[in-house]
Amino acid sequence: MRPQVEYLYRLAWRFTGSVADAEDLVQDVLLKLYPRTRQLVDIERLRPWLARVLYREYVDLVRQRARSPIADLAADAEGEDNPLDTLPAIKDGPEEHAERSGLRERILCALDRLNPEQRAVVTMHDVEGYSLEELETILETPLGTLKSRLHRARRRLRALLSVEPFSAGERVNG
Amino acid sequence: MECRDLTPQLDDCLDGRLDAAARRSIQEHLERCPDCRRRHQHAVALQAALRTLPAPTPRQGFVDQALSRATGAAAGAVRTLRRGALGMALAASLVLGVAVGVFLVTRPAPVPTVALMLERPETVRLMFNSAKPLQAATLSLALPENVELVGYGDRRELSWQTDLREGGNLLQLPLVARGTAKDELVARLSHGGTSKTFRLKFEVDNAGKSGM
Repeated sequence: MRPQVEYLYRLAWRFTGSVADAEDLVQDVLLKLYPRTRQLVDIERLRPWLARVLYREYVDLVRQRARSPIADLAADAEGEDNPLDTLPAIKDGPEEHAERSGLRERILCALDRLNPEQRAVVTMHDVEGYSLEELETILETPLGTLKSRLHRARRRLRALLSVEPFSAGERVNG
Repeated sequence: MECRDLTPQLDDCLDGRLDAAARRSIQEHLERCPDCRRRHQHAVALQAALRTLPAPTPRQGFVDQALSRATGAAAGAVRTLRRGALGMALAASLVLGVAVGVFLVTRPAPVPTVALMLERPETVRLMFNSAKPLQAATLSLALPENVELVGYGDRRELSWQTDLREGGNLLQLPLVARGTAKDELVARLSHGGTSKTFRLKFEVDNAGKSGM
């Protein structure tokens, strides 16, 4: 079970971008699955199956947060009209910026700005390498929806990674 | 093929979902259009970077702990009270109250602490609540040693001029710890001669270093 737990953790971290959330998601999945351990042996392709269970937990977490006192924050963060985009800007050129920051860190931050569904499809497809057809089952979403979701996610990532982290306003010093 | 035709086909092109004729058409266009060629190269580079995006391994002891809890729960043991996901969201999402002209006066509160893993970016969210729109407020950040705002290298002090809209204004700070952070992050929002200061402490865990 240990390699599967590590796999679940990796996916959970990719979904959430947070160590604490990843640990909680994995723990919740294990609590649900442990009584069904024998049943897991008969599952032909275990990892996609586990990914689907994990994704359901992730969706539950997102819904739980939407009901929380910080709902406004969560809702704002998920939309394409992220309030962050109206906050501080920096006026250095892209080349100077690229020298200062690691591409990996910038990608992780850009992923943080996708909504949960976009983040899930882009990480499962573009990072983990699942096909859209496989994701139809794992994410329980029709192919057409997945394609348009992936398209919007990539478009937003490209936009976020081609400009500065803060896209409006004026930096005055520092 | 025109430039505007590339956008809807770019993803299918990246995913190898185009037939030979469509691929050839795109290729011909890219050879004669530097803008689209750059856009295509950017997209290809991003795909390549995503393919190799590392993920951390679980912190030491987590897998044993999680399995142990799962087996304990299955055996009917009382489920250990864990750090709730919602609780963490609240811990990482801190709210600042801002009134128009005069910032809200609040009782001195304990400085909240955010956990960071070494060398692993985490986004800390600050919510500025404003009763009315504020034009040209100044937001200043002073970062403690060993904590960086992603993309800004080792700059310790940054400030911006920005407008706040009515209601919640979310500021996401992608932070990464490069070492132990002894001092606090200080965020100061100033407008019309008044200011509100917000402080944040960090606990840096070394366990993440081997995972990336």
